[in-house]
Amino acid sequence: MTNSMSDALKTLEVFRPEVEEIDEREVKLSVAPDRVIAVLETLKSLGYSHLSLMTCIDWIEDSQFELVYILFSWKDGGKFIVTTRIDRNNPQFVTVKEIWPVARFYEREIHEFFGVKFSGNEDMKPLFLELWDDKPPLRKDFDPLEYSRRKFPGREYQKDVIDEAKKIFRGEING
Amino acid sequence: MKERSIWERIADNLRSRSIWMLHYCTGCGAVELPPSMTSRFDMERFGIAPMATPRQADILLITGYLNTKTLRRVIYTYEQMPDPKYVVGFGSCTINGGIYFDSYATVNRLDYYIPVDVYIAGCMPRPEAILEAFNYLMEKIRKGEADGWKRYRENYEWYKQNQIRSLGEVYVHDEFHE
Amino acid sequence: MGETKLFFGPNHPGMHGNFSVHMYVEGDIVKKARPVPGFLHRGFEKLMERRYWYSNISLIPRICVPEPDINEICYAMAIEKIAKVEVPERAQWIRMIVLELARIANHIWTVGGIGGPLGLYTASHWGVADRDRILDIFEALSGARVYHMYIIPGGVRKNMTPKIEEMIWKTLDYIESRLPDYENLIFKNRIVHSRLRGRLILTREQAVEMGVTGVGLRATGVEYDIRKVDPYLFYDRVEFEVPTATDGDAFSRVYLKFKEIPQSIKIIRQALEKMPQADRVNVPIGRGNGLRRIVPKGMAYAHVESTRGEYGFFVVSDGKNKPYRVAVRGASYPQGLYGIEKYLPGTRIEDVPIWLATMDVCAPEIDR
Repeated sequence: MTNSMSDALKTLEVFRPEVEEIDEREVKLSVAPDRVIAVLETLKSLGYSHLSLMTCIDWIEDSQFELVYILFSWKDGGKFIVTTRIDRNNPQFVTVKEIWPVARFYEREIHEFFGVKFSGNEDMKPLFLELWDDKPPLRKDFDPLEYSRRKFPGREYQKDVIDEAKKIFRGEING
Repeated sequence: MKERSIWERIADNLRSRSIWMLHYCTGCGAVELPPSMTSRFDMERFGIAPMATPRQADILLITGYLNTKTLRRVIYTYEQMPDPKYVVGFGSCTINGGIYFDSYATVNRLDYYIPVDVYIAGCMPRPEAILEAFNYLMEKIRKGEADGWKRYRENYEWYKQNQIRSLGEVYVHDEFHE
Repeated sequence: MGETKLFFGPNHPGMHGNFSVHMYVEGDIVKKARPVPGFLHRGFEKLMERRYWYSNISLIPRICVPEPDINEICYAMAIEKIAKVEVPERAQWIRMIVLELARIANHIWTVGGIGGPLGLYTASHWGVADRDRILDIFEALSGARVYHMYIIPGGVRKNMTPKIEEMIWKTLDYIESRLPDYENLIFKNRIVHSRLRGRLILTREQAVEMGVTGVGLRATGVEYDIRKVDPYLFYDRVEFEVPTATDGDAFSRVYLKFKEIPQSIKIIRQALEKMPQADRVNVPIGRGNGLRRIVPKGMAYAHVESTRGEYGFFVVSDGKNKPYRVAVRGASYPQGLYGIEKYLPGTRIEDVPIWLATMDVCAPEIDR
């Protein structure tokens, strides 16, 4: 990693993150949920002032959500991927819209697709989906093929015997 | 099919030589429309020109996949166009869902919601394919076979039932009022 | 005079793509504005989890429609970071050439496309026609005009023959000879100056607070370009400049896009000379046999400088033969959503399509 990234990591020793180096200019940090805001504010004051992306990963076997913040510095090109884990059955977290105003829209999108509540951000109307009536779509236990077949009927073709026999011998392809 | 009177035959012949297309880019196929409208693959030599409002357009061109949100606006637009009107389904997403067949947000078969006259296959179709499809549509109009608008009027209940089943409701809500 | 509600809706000839802005106007001045995205939402992030690593290549170009090569390169670079794959040198040079050709095509389309909201239709006809010559090169290289599916994780699909290289030399000479005509038509035009100069000014603090990247940030005077700050492929081995301006208004943003075209032509000429001759242009990734590969565990983020700004892919893999999570950072996400709510109130109605055209709000990459 570059020199300024190692200096930044020395400043962050206080919060005890787990560090993993992916590339020469890319480092991943995992912190506990109650220390994330302090880590983000420290990194912003050290020059990592551009929030590239804020997203969420659904680990269904561990029953946890993982929130991801990707920060980028225009001075030396280093990227920090800051992650934290929250509970899946009652997901809630604190907003970061005072630090980066554009995070309001990222959090609105995460609420719509995963169901995570952000305290401090009251603008939680759905952004992309209109009149959605099922569970949040990007969770791992939502099956889009079954939803699509139920609500949007497709075109029926005449069944081809040789094609069906080949499918039975090979097994299903691509779900 | 009923036999057309002499006035209808003349009218269909004249209609086919001046079709005005509604300027509405509904999907990703719309990036091949400007090349077919400009001078390399000239579409205006057939009399086809873009038009801004649905009240004066003849053709609704559905370029590609349809989201549920867009489908509500397309149904509004289709019902605002005056008769006779024609619909062209562009790309393979209108035929059977295409590459997004297992998506929770796109419809799989356009025929269930509005009547379609001509399909164009491909992903994406080349401008030459678009011109051939328009020529085929013009032949169909001259022969009197492009009667999607008559089908919509006669089977209105069936179309409405399909729309409500897939969309829930067709009414467009206001963004500021909820 | 009371306030009227106006839907600058999806069905509008001045609208750039399929996007909608709902606003309250009083006379001619906009009082409140709200963006309505979601008309092109297909659920890409869910669809990509259900296909194999190599099968995703057919889905990837369709996320950003006007410039499909940046999607492929970001996906490929993120997987190569996770799997620690070494790509052959000739493939990296070919990737650079393809990306810069896509950048020239998109800049010509956008600079000519400023004629749409302004009524200068000659410019848009010229823009579309010149872009077609570059699409002919892509058709000879990969077989399709718009969605190439040419850059794959591990290299490129096929090698570039000497005949295609000759075609590229000729097309670059032709485009370079057309640039003075564009400058005379658009940028020395009195009407364009009165419509665009001094409107929709963004200061540097506003641009940085909003998170704008690309031309919107470089028009305020800083030279922030990912090709110089965080170089990928072989951008540190070629010489080029990054043009900047100091005004921050709509005219300088369009003029900056026009001034980046000669720089891209310079990069392609240097790349064509420095490229080594080789036969092998792709390597397999991960383990496994055939086309169902297994990528080891990990996560990575790869970003490039597209014509609109910073475009990135975040890929998570858990050691199986399908991706676990793919997240896309659209380049026009901040200026399309936050910018419309915060910076449009106070401007006039005819400035709304100018914002959408000069800040380059592209609806498919916001919706995915």
